[in-house]
Amino acid sequence: MAEAPLDSFDPGAVADALLPLLGLTATPESRAQTIVHLRIAAEHAHKLLSVPPDDADEPAPVFTA
Amino acid sequence: MTAKLLDRSAQTIAAAVKGGAVSAREVAQAALKRIEARNSALGAFTDVTATRALSKAEAIDAARARGESLGPLAGAPFAVKNLFDIKGLPTRAGSKINRDVAPAKADATAIARLEAVGAVLVGALNMGEYAYDFTGENAHDGPSRNPHDLNHMTGGSSGGSGAAVAGGLVPIALGTDTNGSIRVPSSLCGLFGLKPTYGRLSRAGAFPFVASLDHIGPLARSAGDLALAYDSMLGRDETDPAQADMPATPVSPTLSDGIAGLRIARLGGYFARSADGSALAAVDTVARALKADRVVQLARADVARSAAYLITMVEGAALHLERLRTRGPDFDPDVRDRLIAGAMLPGAWVTQAQKFRRRFRAETLALFRDVDILLAPATPCRAPKIGQRTFVLGGQEMLVRPNLGLFTQPLSFIGLPVVAAPLWTDGEKLPIGVQIVAAPWREDLALRVAWTLEQAGVVRAPVATFS
Repeated sequence: MAEAPLDSFDPGAVADALLPLLGLTATPESRAQTIVHLRIAAEHAHKLLSVPPDDADEPAPVFTA
Repeated sequence: MTAKLLDRSAQTIAAAVKGGAVSAREVAQAALKRIEARNSALGAFTDVTATRALSKAEAIDAARARGESLGPLAGAPFAVKNLFDIKGLPTRAGSKINRDVAPAKADATAIARLEAVGAVLVGALNMGEYAYDFTGENAHDGPSRNPHDLNHMTGGSSGGSGAAVAGGLVPIALGTDTNGSIRVPSSLCGLFGLKPTYGRLSRAGAFPFVASLDHIGPLARSAGDLALAYDSMLGRDETDPAQADMPATPVSPTLSDGIAGLRIARLGGYFARSADGSALAAVDTVARALKADRVVQLARADVARSAAYLITMVEGAALHLERLRTRGPDFDPDVRDRLIAGAMLPGAWVTQAQKFRRRFRAETLALFRDVDILLAPATPCRAPKIGQRTFVLGGQEMLVRPNLGLFTQPLSFIGLPVVAAPLWTDGEKLPIGVQIVAAPWREDLALRVAWTLEQAGVVRAPVATFS
């Protein structure tokens, strides 16, 4: 379920595709670190997506006691 | 005599000013002198508002001479993380970039409210750039240093706040907490810190980081000062759209009500893993003192932390995207590259994180039907050394910068009020904190527990010793 999209999540390809689209530039060092952070984010996303989502779950972050 | 007063609580200072034992001006002068003497070692202050402080102190002395009633913090010095607006200063938020912005036209609401009860602002404090930090290290201003061992971190991002209070420069400082940035420096510097319920205190005039997770709050050397600072900042402020319309009920009068009848449990599972012995021993000590034998689980706290991590990356990136485009080289590289990565994350991940947040909150609120207070470590270990990039927790090597907030992040994710309280172990130079967690809007209970522990000598926050 969750594994397929994350298995195909290639941080290097994402960085190279999105840097110009977002109007950002990165030195080789910055690109390398960005990829490290994308990889960490993907690990967190993997954990998050392991919880089956419910279509009815409300995403609005309203806080009421 | 006045210098020694700076080592006491804000309430003691205010009592001395109100009683005429010392003038507010003498206190302000002593604080400014101490800042001058210690700040080069601590890296706590980035701006000192000496003229303003002396003027405010003189106004307090004049009011006293006229026989007017003085506020509960009369003459007590305080300082704020440099993301709070101070009229006349650019709000740098730990950055190089924001030094170019126009000076603030007004004070942040929190500053105005503390000054309204007599506190005297003496300056602005060092912090991690744009609050995206758990270490207290700043690429532009240098690190804030832990007053209990200058080779060690203060924790962040409110690192200057931790250094200033633990170093005896001020008895109270303000910080902000998105994922743990009040509780982490409180733990590493040995202080009391309060992250109130999300929406409780006005954030107006505080530079944002992750709006849906941002809180403001005080750090202090006593639970009483923490409560008094919190009480002073209560009240509706419609200029913060996230602030809830809740009654401004002060908690200070209830601190001594005791803890009889409170159902207190410690958090197991996630909160008992990935911590070193000192963190778990600190929770043991507090639980024993409170006779809290029960262990409860906050299911999927690890997922909550992951969700908070992703929301932080994406909201932070959205806030800074234009600055990343135009001023990229002026960022701290450690911050910039995390923000750039955040700008690239799929929207579906963030929506799922928000959905999970709602569900996790509902499950946690259900837990509070059966318990009043939860105990957990504040940080996984004592303060790492400045510059340290990794540490080993649970047998696994991890990056320090994102992981000092392992235990704070799942709790701020759903806006729970938390007091961090400091413990000391014989023979150890550095303290460590425990989180005292309450249900939404029950800051009073968390503060009562902290105050009770302090009275019993279980937790304490001494000023660091300077030779």
